[in-house]
Amino acid sequence: MNHPAFHPGQRCDGVSRRDFLHLGLLTSFGLSVADLLRLQAGAASPAKVRAKSCILLWLDGGPSHLDTFDPKPDAPAEVRSPFADIATSVPGIRICEHLPQTAKVMRDVALIRSLTHELGNHDTGTRYLLTGHRPTPALEFPSLGSLVALETGFGEAMPPYVAIPGDGVGGNSNAARSGYLPGAYSAFSVGPDPARVRDLNPPEGVSFVRSEERRAMLARLDGFSREVEEGAATRNRDAYYEQAYRLLASAEAKAAFDLDRETPATRQRYGHGKLGTSCLLARRLVEAGSRFVTVVDKGWDTHQQISRELPDSRFAGSGKLPSLDRAYTALLTELRERGLLDSTLVVMMGEFGRTPKLNATAGRDHWPRAGFACLAGGGVRGGQVIGATDAHGEVPIDRPVSPPDLAFTLLKLLGVDPTRELTTPSGRPVKMLSDGAFIEGLV
Amino acid sequence: MIRRGVQLICLLFAVLPAGAVEETRDRLDFRTGILPLLTKAGCNAGACHGAAVGQGGFRLSLLGYAPEEDYASLTRERGGRRLDRDTPAESLFFRKGSGQLDHEGGRKIKRGSAAEQTLLAWIAAGAPFGPSDLRVTQIKVEPEDTLLPAPDQTVQLRVVAELSDGRREDVTLLALYSSNDDAVADVDQAGLVTTRDRGLTSIMVRYSGQASAARIAVPFGDADIASADFTPNNFIDEKVLAELRRLRLPPSPLSGDAEFFRRVHLDLIGRLPDAVAVRAFLEEPPSDEKRRRVVAALLASDAFVDFWTLKFGDWLLLDGKRGSEEATRAYHDWVRGQLARNRPLDEFVRDLLLAQGETTHVGPANFFNLATDPRDLGEYVGSMFLGAQIACARCHAHPADRWTQDDYHAFAAYFARLSRQGETLVVSARGEVEHPKTQKPIPPRPLGADRAEVGHQDDRRAGLASWLTASDNPFFARNLVNRVWKHLLGRGLVEPVDDVRPTNPASNPALHDALAREFAQHGFDLRWLVGTIANSRTYQLSSRTTEGNRHDDQLFSHAYLKPLPAQVFADAVAQVTGVSDEFEGQPKGTQAVQLVGAQTPSYALDVLGRCSRQQSCETPGSASGGLAASLHLINGSTINDKLRDSPLTRLLAADLLNRERVNDLFLRAFGRLPSDVEWTWWTQHVATTPDRPAAAEDLLWALLNSREFAFNH
Repeated sequence: MNHPAFHPGQRCDGVSRRDFLHLGLLTSFGLSVADLLRLQAGAASPAKVRAKSCILLWLDGGPSHLDTFDPKPDAPAEVRSPFADIATSVPGIRICEHLPQTAKVMRDVALIRSLTHELGNHDTGTRYLLTGHRPTPALEFPSLGSLVALETGFGEAMPPYVAIPGDGVGGNSNAARSGYLPGAYSAFSVGPDPARVRDLNPPEGVSFVRSEERRAMLARLDGFSREVEEGAATRNRDAYYEQAYRLLASAEAKAAFDLDRETPATRQRYGHGKLGTSCLLARRLVEAGSRFVTVVDKGWDTHQQISRELPDSRFAGSGKLPSLDRAYTALLTELRERGLLDSTLVVMMGEFGRTPKLNATAGRDHWPRAGFACLAGGGVRGGQVIGATDAHGEVPIDRPVSPPDLAFTLLKLLGVDPTRELTTPSGRPVKMLSDGAFIEGLV
Repeated sequence: MIRRGVQLICLLFAVLPAGAVEETRDRLDFRTGILPLLTKAGCNAGACHGAAVGQGGFRLSLLGYAPEEDYASLTRERGGRRLDRDTPAESLFFRKGSGQLDHEGGRKIKRGSAAEQTLLAWIAAGAPFGPSDLRVTQIKVEPEDTLLPAPDQTVQLRVVAELSDGRREDVTLLALYSSNDDAVADVDQAGLVTTRDRGLTSIMVRYSGQASAARIAVPFGDADIASADFTPNNFIDEKVLAELRRLRLPPSPLSGDAEFFRRVHLDLIGRLPDAVAVRAFLEEPPSDEKRRRVVAALLASDAFVDFWTLKFGDWLLLDGKRGSEEATRAYHDWVRGQLARNRPLDEFVRDLLLAQGETTHVGPANFFNLATDPRDLGEYVGSMFLGAQIACARCHAHPADRWTQDDYHAFAAYFARLSRQGETLVVSARGEVEHPKTQKPIPPRPLGADRAEVGHQDDRRAGLASWLTASDNPFFARNLVNRVWKHLLGRGLVEPVDDVRPTNPASNPALHDALAREFAQHGFDLRWLVGTIANSRTYQLSSRTTEGNRHDDQLFSHAYLKPLPAQVFADAVAQVTGVSDEFEGQPKGTQAVQLVGAQTPSYALDVLGRCSRQQSCETPGSASGGLAASLHLINGSTINDKLRDSPLTRLLAADLLNRERVNDLFLRAFGRLPSDVEWTWWTQHVATTPDRPAAAEDLLWALLNSREFAFNH
C-alpha cells in the first residue's frame, strides 16, 4: 500500500446538486446539449428518489426459478416443476403453488424473469450479484450494502448496513463485505439469534453513566500508548469501537433491535422461524434508520429432491417455500400498512437459477443463464413482469437483465450515483460500478 | 489493502484487456499460429466466447485451452459455415471478427493488420490444424526482475516461447499482460511497463497455456540505507537486508526487550508471559543470548504443542463435524502427539496421506473425511500441502498457472481407490477418476511431472506421498515455510499462502528459496524453522515504523501488527483476570487453544473470529470481528463476567494505589511497566471513584479493551 488515499469521511449528501455541478462543468468544456441528454439517458433513472432504505432478502445457494417464480407448466416432464402453478392478484402472472400468500401481493412486486449471467459458482455468482462487478482477483469489490453505507456515513446511531444473521453468503465468500473500502463499511452481523441481538446493554451492575465513563477512560489509555501505532492495521478496530459507542448511546437505536416490543400477533404473522424473525427485525431496523439490511436465508442449493425440499413435506417449517411465502408477504404487507413501502425497496433474489432439466436425483444444478429477482416498494411499479425466458426456462428471450444492471438500478433507486469515482487504498481510481444501466420500465 | 479471493484466480480472464494484433506469423498451424491471435484479440476471454456457455451460439475454450475443440467449433459447427475457404474474406467468422457484420464484441481484427493477413491466409490454405503434437512448452520473460529509479519510467518486456519442436519465437506482441498492482506499475498489451509509484509488484504474462511473471520495483527512497543499523543474525536477515538495500527501505530498529518478550510468547505459545517472567527478563541486561534462551524454552514447552496443535487443526480443517467425537479426538491427539515428538513434517504429511483403518483409532485416517470425491481430495491436498489452487483446472485449464484438466484429474486419481466402511477408511483395488472429455480412466500423476511415480502396487497414494514429501519437491517445503512465516511475521512471503503460482511471486523470492532449502536440509523440523525465524533480526524488529518504511507492507522492514487470534485473546483475558473460561463438555481449566475441533459452542470465540474449519481460513477478509465483536468486548461476557468474578478485582480494590500490584497488572496485560502518564491516569480514576470494586473493574476493563492489548505488536 502506498498512499492510503481513501477518505472514510467522504459523504455525498446532495447527489442531484452534485450532478448538476458536474454537468455544468462539462458544458463549459464544450459538450453540446445533445451530448448531455445522451449522458443523462445512459443513466435513465427515477425522477425522484423515493427509497430511503433497502431490505435484501438473499436466497443463498441459488433458488430454482422454475419451481418458484418462472413456472413452465407446458414444458416436458424432465423440465417442468413437480409443483403446479397458480394465478396471482395480477392477471397473467402465475407462480408456484407453494407461494399462495405471495400470489396475493404480486401487485406490489416487479418480477424480473430475465436475470442472467455466466458465473455458475456460488462464490463468483454471489460476488457478481452483490457487488455489480464481475469478480477479478486483482481487486475485491465492495458489496452494494457497503456502498450505501459509504454514502450514508456513520453520523447516525443506527448502523447503516446490517446483515441478519451475518454477511457470510455465497459459500462464505466476501461478496457481502466491504471489499476495497475500509472494514468499517462492512455489515453489522447481528449474530445467530435475530430475536436476541447480544451485547447492546451494559453488563449487569454497570450503569449507562459508568459505561460512558469507561469509554472516556479507554480513549485516554489508547491515547497514551506508544506501543501500537495507529495505522491501517488498527483503523478498523478503532472504527468499530466508535460505531459501537454511537449505537450504545442511543436508546432508540437499541430499541430497534428489541423484538419484544412487537405484539405476539405481529410475531405470528411473520412466523416464528428464523426467516420470519429476521424479516421482522429487518423492518424494525429500516424503520429506525438503517439503510441496507440483508437477510440471509440459506439452503436454496437444491441439488436433490426438489419436491421434498421446497414444500413442507416432512413437518411444518421443513421446506423453504412456505416460510418464505409467509415472511415475504408479512414484510410487504406490513411495510404497506405502515406507509413504509414507498420508502423501502425490498429485493428478493439469489446468486443464480437452476438447471431446466431435473437431474438424476430429482434436483436441479446451478444455472446462471436464467434466474429471477423480485423488486417491490421504493418507487418500483409493481404488478408487472420484466423479461421472459424461453419455453424451458433456459435463457432470457426478452429484456435480459445483468447483475450490473440490477446493481445499477438498486443504487439509483436508493439515490446513490453508481458512476461516482472512488479510490482504492493503493490509489487506483475505480467507479462504483463500471457497467450496468437502469432497468427500463421498472418505475 | 487489496484482497485477493483465491477461487477468483479462475476468473483472471475477466480482466483481460483485448487488443488488436499486429505481428506477422509465418506458420499457419492452428494451435501455435492461429489460436494465439484469437486469444490476444480477446475472442476467447471469459466475458466473450470463452464463457462456459459461449456467446451468441459460438463457444471457444477459455484462453484457448482446448485447441481441438476450438478448431472443431470453427471449422465444423453450423455445417462449416463459419469459414469460406474459397473467399476467405466472406467467412462469417472473419466478417464478425472484423466488425463487418453485427458483432457484440465489436471489431477485433484490425483492417490491414498482420493478424488479418494471417487469418485470411490460414482460411485460404484450407484452415489446417497442422501438426497435432506441436505446442508451446515454456515461456521466458525478460527482464525477470527490474528496478527502475522512479515513477513514470518504462521498461519493455520481451517474451520468448519455446515450442515442442525446439524452435523459439518472440511472442512479445501476442502474450497477455496484467499488473498485479497497477498503482505501482501499469503494463500495456505490447508488454511496455510504466511505473506509477514507489513500491514492488509483478506483471503477469500468459501465452498459449503457459504463465510467468516479471517483478517490477521502484525504490521507496532516494538515499542508500545505513546497513550498520541492521546486523544479520542468520541467513534470513541477509536475504531480507539485500532486498531492503535494493529498494532503499530502511529497517526499523531492534524491538525492545518487553516488545520482543510479549511478541515471542504470543507467536510461539499463544499465551501472554506471566509477570514474574517478564520482570526477570527485563532485569537481565539486553543480549542476543537471552533472547535465544527464551526462544529455546518456548519451543520446548507443552504450551507450544497445544498452540501449534490449534494452528495445525486450522490448517488441516480438523473440525469435529466430519467424523464422530471419538474419531475427532483420535485425530487431534495424533496431531498433538506428532508435534510433541517433533515429528519431521515430511513424515507427518506422509502419515496423513497413507493413513487407513478405523478413524476412531487411527487419527490421521480422519484426514480423508475432508471429502469422498477424489477430485475434492486432490484440491485439498493441493492447497494444504502444495499451496496451489488447482480447482480451476477441474473444468478448464488454469488461466494463471500451467495446470490443465489432465494434470488435475491425474492428480485426483491418487485418491480414487479409497472407500469407507462405517468409520473405517479402506484402500480398495478398484476405482478410477475419469477424464471429463474422454470419459476414460486417467492414471495417477503428480502435478507438473511428466510421468507417474511408480508407487506401491496396493496403494496408489504411496507414489504421491513419496513425490510430495521429497526434499526436492518444488512446492512442499516452500508451502510449509510460507505458512509458518506468515504466522510469525503477519504476512506470507507469498500471499495468499494457498495461492502459490508462477504468476504470484514471493515478495522476496531469494528468501523464500533459501528458507525452503534450509528447512528441507534440516529434516523438515518445525521447531528448527520456528526457532530460526524467531531468532532472526527480521522477526525481532520493532513494529514502530520510520519515515522511510511506513509504506512497506511486504518486505519486512518492520514488524507488522497482528490482531490476537480469537482463542489467544480469550485465553489472554482469562490469564490477566485469573478466571478461566468454561467450555461445554470440557474439563475445568481447559484453555480455548486446547479445544478439540471447532465445534465446542462459544459465542465469544465465534464473534472474535475463530476459524470454523469448514474451509480454509487463509483467505483474508473473514467475516468475524467488526461491530459485533466490539459490542461484545464492551458489554459482553468475555471480559465483564470475568471482571466480576476475578480475584484480581478484589485484590486491587483492597488497595488500589499499591504501585507494585499495578505494575504487576501492566506486566501481565502488556508485558511492560506502566508509564508515568498511565500511572497518573490510574490514580486520577481512583481519586474520582468512591466505589472501589467498581473502580478496579473499570480500570481492568479499560486495559482489556485497549488497542495495545488487542494486538501482538
